[in-house]
Amino acid sequence: MATGYAGKFLLVNLTDGSCTDFTIADSELQKYIGGSCLAAKMYLDRYPLDTDPLSPENPLMIMTGPMVGSGFPGTSRFTICTKAPQTGIWGESACGGTFGPELKRAGYDGIVLEGQSPEPVCLAILDGQATLEDASALWGTDIYEATDLLKAEDKSRKVLAIGPAGENLSRIAAIGNDKGHFSGRTGLGAVMGAKKLKAIVVKGTLKTGKADENRYKEVLKTAIAEVKGSALAEGLHMMGSDANMDLGMVTGDVPIKNWTVGEDFDLSFNLSGPTMREKYLTKAHACANCPVACKRVVKVDDGPYRTDEGPGPEYETCGTFGTMLMNSDLAAVIKANELCNRYGLDTISCGSAIALAMELFEKGTLTTDQVDGLDLTWGNMGAVMPLIRKIAYREGFGDILADGAVHAARKIGGDAMDCVVHVKGLEAPMHDPRAFHGMGLAYMMSNRGACHLQHAVLATEQGMASWPQLFDMKDDYTGTTSVDKAALVYNSENYGILGNSLAICHYLVDILKPETILEAFNAITGFNLTSDELLEAGMRDWTLKRGFNNLLGITAKDDVLPKRLLTALKEGGGAGSVPDVALLLSEYYAIRGLDERGFPRKEKLTELGLDELKDRLYR
Amino acid sequence: MGVRALTQEWMDAYKAAIQADPEYKDIAKNWEGSVALVVLPDPAKGIPETVYLFQDYWHGDVGEFVVCDKDKAESAKFVMTGEYARWKQIARKELDATKALLQGKLKMKGDLPYVVRNIKTVNKVIDILGAFETIWPDEV
Ligand code: SF4
Repeated sequence: MATGYAGKFLLVNLTDGSCTDFTIADSELQKYIGGSCLAAKMYLDRYPLDTDPLSPENPLMIMTGPMVGSGFPGTSRFTICTKAPQTGIWGESACGGTFGPELKRAGYDGIVLEGQSPEPVCLAILDGQATLEDASALWGTDIYEATDLLKAEDKSRKVLAIGPAGENLSRIAAIGNDKGHFSGRTGLGAVMGAKKLKAIVVKGTLKTGKADENRYKEVLKTAIAEVKGSALAEGLHMMGSDANMDLGMVTGDVPIKNWTVGEDFDLSFNLSGPTMREKYLTKAHACANCPVACKRVVKVDDGPYRTDEGPGPEYETCGTFGTMLMNSDLAAVIKANELCNRYGLDTISCGSAIALAMELFEKGTLTTDQVDGLDLTWGNMGAVMPLIRKIAYREGFGDILADGAVHAARKIGGDAMDCVVHVKGLEAPMHDPRAFHGMGLAYMMSNRGACHLQHAVLATEQGMASWPQLFDMKDDYTGTTSVDKAALVYNSENYGILGNSLAICHYLVDILKPETILEAFNAITGFNLTSDELLEAGMRDWTLKRGFNNLLGITAKDDVLPKRLLTALKEGGGAGSVPDVALLLSEYYAIRGLDERGFPRKEKLTELGLDELKDRLYR
Repeated sequence: MGVRALTQEWMDAYKAAIQADPEYKDIAKNWEGSVALVVLPDPAKGIPETVYLFQDYWHGDVGEFVVCDKDKAESAKFVMTGEYARWKQIARKELDATKALLQGKLKMKGDLPYVVRNIKTVNKVIDILGAFETIWPDEV
């Protein structure tokens, strides 16, 4: 058995209640590694693609990777994969926290959930023993309540749970781990809800081995030293991911007023990482085995948005519930974050849907009557709080927004879709491609829709990381040009996508040298890959998921940026600039080996050892 | 005719350029505190030993701008250290200073959140470095 792995996967059939173990050959593990890449391979091999994402036929896969549980920095991750309810294409969402390493300790590399339970259930995996338990009493609780109840007996158990949004099949529903860590994107919580699976509880004592303990100990020392010497790690520890708010406002990265305004320094000052640190931070918090500790624990002591001490918002949430809504009150962002966490809503999709509603309210497309009497004037957070609840429970106007901005715009009609910034149905995260053209290409080509976490383009194009030892890179890239970006995006995808297969945090991918991560991977698994082979694994990962999407009808016509991102802003770091989509795509298609339909070419598929996919695509 | 980089004459020219900049005073109105730039030796490029530069900034005004010794440099509120080649790249706008910091090409001692909060001031001061002609030691 390959080292680093627990050595078995759990298959749970929620329809008949059976739990069985299965294994995957070492040769397959070496080729597809783990996490979302292995999940895509398993999905393609075992399940039909033409299913409704909320039907019993759509499996939900919860995957770790070989480094998870090793103790190496950033390897706390797990990735949840399926055909996504929000987009109807490949869906995955990675998460840090505690669940991944504990699942390994409980004896499993991953869980595949099939079917649909007739009644609400909770899956308990305790030291290799999996059982389904009645969860009727938990159904209806929010994620914080469910987590507390499931830990009441034993606080050391790790919990994965959905809230009311998942139960109500919101296509922007998230899945929460121990209250502070979320698989947010693409609506995976709705798949759990459709399966009537309220939660998963894990605990175990298994220790996975390492191929070479001494080699591992050496590289661990190197990694810790690299974290200690990193300004990025220091910044993340001190300010959280929201350090980007001040920096991004200068460069033009931060979307404002539903992507229509280019800069607003009052907003960024009030919503920034330093402000959170000064006013609301009680402590920094870390995922398992992470020396960076970028997570925020915050408390709002008084005022209308008072909260107990709890998980604080990330930069993305400060964007969607701050700048996007023209809200400069960080306490309101913290409250909105808490509500989304409790109800189990993705903060990017939820905030983006509300931004759309505010814009349409201002334009008169939506009237006060249509929005249940709420005053959706920009920045009115007093109306946002009840609206979040309505979304989670699909009440009134909340039902219109409950599946995200794209579905909402379709229901509202008119020119509403022109106000939505999305690719392939997924609202873009808080990074503006008008200031960073490479990110525009990355949004177009990301396999789950507009995304900043399926690649490392954010780090390389914005200069947080530089890896000339891995691929040809300049010292500094100008954001507002499309020249020389296709190769940068291609290479940053091939490396960055591995974060979700190795199951290592993207911040650590940026902070640690690639050779350090590779050395740790090899010391743990014994696979002894070269850096070229590692990048090839990344190419295979990307191509496999692209093929999955091609089989679902995704073609070149879907590789587009929305109208709004092709409309230049008047002010800010990206003023007057829009990505040159034709240049970016033509260069990228050539490097990536895509034909004019947007399908991977036959020879590329053969080169990557994906002949079965080739046969399906070229039937 | 330019001034030779990393000399007192260069520091005087830099200070004058900052004072002459029409936007600087307003952008830097919140900045408090001194900055030291430490240029690591590179004999092959005409930098036989470490160069220490001390710059005092206070709410849009500039004070002492001197070539100094190690002790004075280390007394600054912020100490930025890097190789000669990196500083030259930054001055020539071939490498953004924030990116250099994040990539480990520059090291900083000091309050990082303060710098992040005042990133516009930092960018402005570096931008002004390109406002006057500089003769680099390795190009003499
Ligand atoms: S850097 Fe932050 S998100 Fe990543 S593993 Fe560490 S604490 Fe978790």
